[in-house]
Amino acid sequence: MSPVACPAPRRLAHFTLPSVPGNERAAIAQVCDSVAGLNLPRGRLERLKTVVGEATMNAIEHGNGNRPDLAVDIEVFAAGAEVIVAITDRGGCSDAGRLDERARGEVPDLARKLSGDQEPAGWGLFLIRHMVDGMEVTTSGERRTVRLTMRTQ
Amino acid sequence: MENSVTCAQVRKADGLTSVIDISGDVTAASEPALMSAYEQAEQQGARRLVLNFTGLEYMNSGGIGMLVTLLVRANRHRQPLAAYGLSAHYREIFELTRLDEAITIYDDERSALAG
Repeated sequence: MSPVACPAPRRLAHFTLPSVPGNERAAIAQVCDSVAGLNLPRGRLERLKTVVGEATMNAIEHGNGNRPDLAVDIEVFAAGAEVIVAITDRGGCSDAGRLDERARGEVPDLARKLSGDQEPAGWGLFLIRHMVDGMEVTTSGERRTVRLTMRTQ
Repeated sequence: MENSVTCAQVRKADGLTSVIDISGDVTAASEPALMSAYEQAEQQGARRLVLNFTGLEYMNSGGIGMLVTLLVRANRHRQPLAAYGLSAHYREIFELTRLDEAITIYDDERSALAG
């Protein structure tokens, strides 16, 4: 059996943003620009915008503690029929990052939120998990990278 | 600071229902605008609230949290919440989060008010 050809990822964009709340909007805009040539269907593009926004907000707030001097690093790749967005912060070995991971392990439940058993917030990771085709979190020292994969069709 | 602009205008649709016209962004920073609109609707004597999302440009997880907070307050006062004007994407988010089970979704204002 011959091996299936797997095209090497092609980097479409690489940029950094200061960790300032609200900068996820700049991340969304730049990622959108970078994938314009892929002609994603509208629904997929809207999902991509949402997951990039949520993952960047998490990186700004939880990974980098809203510190403007710490950058969020974002790379966008096209790989075959997939678009991959890698978002890196400095939360890999911080206590805040680990605590955040534990807190985010709880699945948000609207009924529990309405009864006061859960905080109203805490939907970000839930949205990401439900909207991407793949999500991988890796750490290397203090660098933590969330890699989001979405099919283009 | 987060540069998020939410506009929430309240109008009385009938004796029992107030419509909150939401435009711009719905994020965690929308709390003052949304809660102020809710209080205004309360002062109008609204027994039912309809959220008009026709002018919505962007909503994130923080905004969903704000809607949950609004829903908690409305539930406490036994005020049903309805919504219309959501794009297909935000309807999907309402379904994923099951907000659509707590906030009745309509296609347009006429059906929302009739509901």
